Amino acid sequence: MNILTANLRHLYQRRGLWLFYAFLGLLVLLSIMAALGNPRAGKGQFIWFIAIAFLIGFITVALAIDVLTKPFSYCLPGHRKTVRRLIFWIGIVISFLGSLPFLAYPGLLSWEPFLMLCSAFCANLIFYWLGVGLAFINRNAAAAIGYLCFAGFAGIFFDLHITSESAIVLCPVAVICVGLLTSIVAWFRLGYEGLARRYCDVLWVSLFDAWNRDKLQRYRKTRAAIKWDKKLKTHPNPWVERFFLGRMQKYEFFRTGRYIWGGLYTTFGVAISQWKGALSGVFVALPVVCFLGYMGPGAVVVFYIVPVSMVAYVRLPVYSSMLVWGGRNERFFTVMILAATTSVLITALVTIIAAFSLPLAAIMPDITLRGGTFTFHAIYIKLCFVPLLMIPIVFTIQLFFFKKPYFVIVTIMLLFMLLFTGGSLLKALSTMIDPIYLVVGLLVLSWIIFVAVLYYICKRRCLV
Amino acid sequence: MSSKDPIVQMRRVCKRFGKTKALDEVDLQIYRGRIIGLLGANGAGKSTLLRHIIGLYLPDEGHCTTFGCEAGKLGPMQLARIGYVHQEGELLDWMMVKQLVRYVSTYYPNWNNELEERYIDDFEISTKARVGSLSPGQRQRLAILLAIGFEPELLILDEPASTLDPIARAQFLDLLLKIIQDENRAIIISSHILSDVEKVIDHAVIMKEGRILVDCSFDQLQERFSRVRISSLSGELPAELPFKNVVKCQRSNGEAILTVKDYSQEQIEQAAQSLDCQIEIQPLSLEEIYKIVVS
Repeated sequence: MNILTANLRHLYQRRGLWLFYAFLGLLVLLSIMAALGNPRAGKGQFIWFIAIAFLIGFITVALAIDVLTKPFSYCLPGHRKTVRRLIFWIGIVISFLGSLPFLAYPGLLSWEPFLMLCSAFCANLIFYWLGVGLAFINRNAAAAIGYLCFAGFAGIFFDLHITSESAIVLCPVAVICVGLLTSIVAWFRLGYEGLARRYCDVLWVSLFDAWNRDKLQRYRKTRAAIKWDKKLKTHPNPWVERFFLGRMQKYEFFRTGRYIWGGLYTTFGVAISQWKGALSGVFVALPVVCFLGYMGPGAVVVFYIVPVSMVAYVRLPVYSSMLVWGGRNERFFTVMILAATTSVLITALVTIIAAFSLPLAAIMPDITLRGGTFTFHAIYIKLCFVPLLMIPIVFTIQLFFFKKPYFVIVTIMLLFMLLFTGGSLLKALSTMIDPIYLVVGLLVLSWIIFVAVLYYICKRRCLV
Repeated sequence: MSSKDPIVQMRRVCKRFGKTKALDEVDLQIYRGRIIGLLGANGAGKSTLLRHIIGLYLPDEGHCTTFGCEAGKLGPMQLARIGYVHQEGELLDWMMVKQLVRYVSTYYPNWNNELEERYIDDFEISTKARVGSLSPGQRQRLAILLAIGFEPELLILDEPASTLDPIARAQFLDLLLKIIQDENRAIIISSHILSDVEKVIDHAVIMKEGRILVDCSFDQLQERFSRVRISSLSGELPAELPFKNVVKCQRSNGEAILTVKDYSQEQIEQAAQSLDCQIEIQPLSLEEIYKIVVS
């Protein structure tokens, strides 16, 4: 088997890719339906194939880097040159396939389909190289996928799909030139002698490492160590240390209070040390509030998404092999206090963000953008209890799937789906039960579940 | 609990992780005044056993008591008597070394500042460095300091010296010998560097696939195995040598080197009397004994 074949075998040997193929298949199907179902010129219907080329470019390089970063691959004979061949082969095949639907573009004259084919092929290549480039510079491919989805929606909002399609159709020669030029640049860049050396044994979070807890921890630790050494030299701040150690010392030795204050220190020490950074966060929060205000009713996502994303990666100190004298009882009480404190702080934060929108509603002007008028609405602050409801649920999921972050993410996504689809059920319930009782009932229920699970884990489960 | 009672007592402890049996009916008693070497291949169950002792793992079957208390229910009073260095090296990476030491020392009434200062000097730990940016060796040194700073009665060391350089390892072994001078203490050390371990241990526990194969004093273990060099004084040695429990045999012109089991020195000399030969008895190193036991 030659080296190129061995690399191509990654495309089916990695089981995680099958999920991606399923997603890609769905995307291709939707793209065909969009382009060929009712083909219309100038509507951006044909651009989806090009978006797929971008995605494939990104995935191909993510896989290639996965191999490149393994130290053994550096020494494999001929392996260093295979990267370029692999990426180019896949790029050419995908770009060709992606350009074929443009033959069905409405209103083409006799000789134009060929030119259109070339233009679409080169456009595919351009987007493919964009995906390739992004994957090469991004050390955390798994996280980048999330940003790409967001960028995709933003692109649609600003009609980038229509603009790109128009460029392919109206300026084919320019697109062909740019496509060829980018391909030549890519050919030389990928053939660079030091490429393999640059990536050899570099800590890189590849596409499927989102589920690799050990690797993610190592990655975060390495990144954090650089950050701590460069930016946070004085953290935790001496006064923060004095405060927490002082609180600990107020309790006698071996009292749970001392352990709880220790837990609070290790959880919030860095965050409190960066209080100046938190203040500057207010300036970040203001545009966010403005954006949310113009979103209309959708702005209530601030109560759902923000708290969940803030606590999704908080590591509760139940599972810890760093032994100070905290037994299972002490861990139980400490985590309970930590969860409560975290919930209250985050709830306060999102409530403040929502409260900002109240005075702004009176002064913010209407914005007319692309034919639509956007009016600033205050965020529906009555939903500020939601973080108090969501956070214990997320913590419960984390406690259960501590060793399987994959399940944490999937379960949280399912929870969101349940929330958004179960809205009507909640409305129906609120007509039968007084909404205040309903809210209080749900809050109590979520906290009881969390405490019960925490108690079970602290008393009956292994803690490493 | 009297000082003669075992600090740790494990009775028929079983632990499974899915289909893997990590501990299989383990019986173990640990007494004060001993340095116990816990030996075994990767996956033999050493770390699992140690984690049961401090209650981080709960047994599926059997009982494990530490300081007379069921390990799963250990409270602050008992845990404050245990120091633990673990192979993952989990520390608070965002703190500076001195801050971490201060933080951990706040938990213990008997934190020995003098020992801390001496250790920091001897092991050349940079107190101003960020824990997250320490090298693996420096990290290990810090973890050891945090585990011994409060002078625990039971010190559990899970692969403590794997990342230390030879000089630091030698210092570390000296430190263990100093700690054990207080007869009220016990040390359990799990390590793959057997040449180091054999310098300090007085008791050996060898594990394989979750079972304890050997649990005896190191002297007894060394007495069980011997290497006998038999040199014929007149020509060739007979084809059959008068030894029964021969583990290994190498022969060459008029000379044989045997590794024998369960023979005392007198028995070896008696057996050799029937041959017209010269014998030389040598003890085996821990590494050699370990290989024989687990193979």
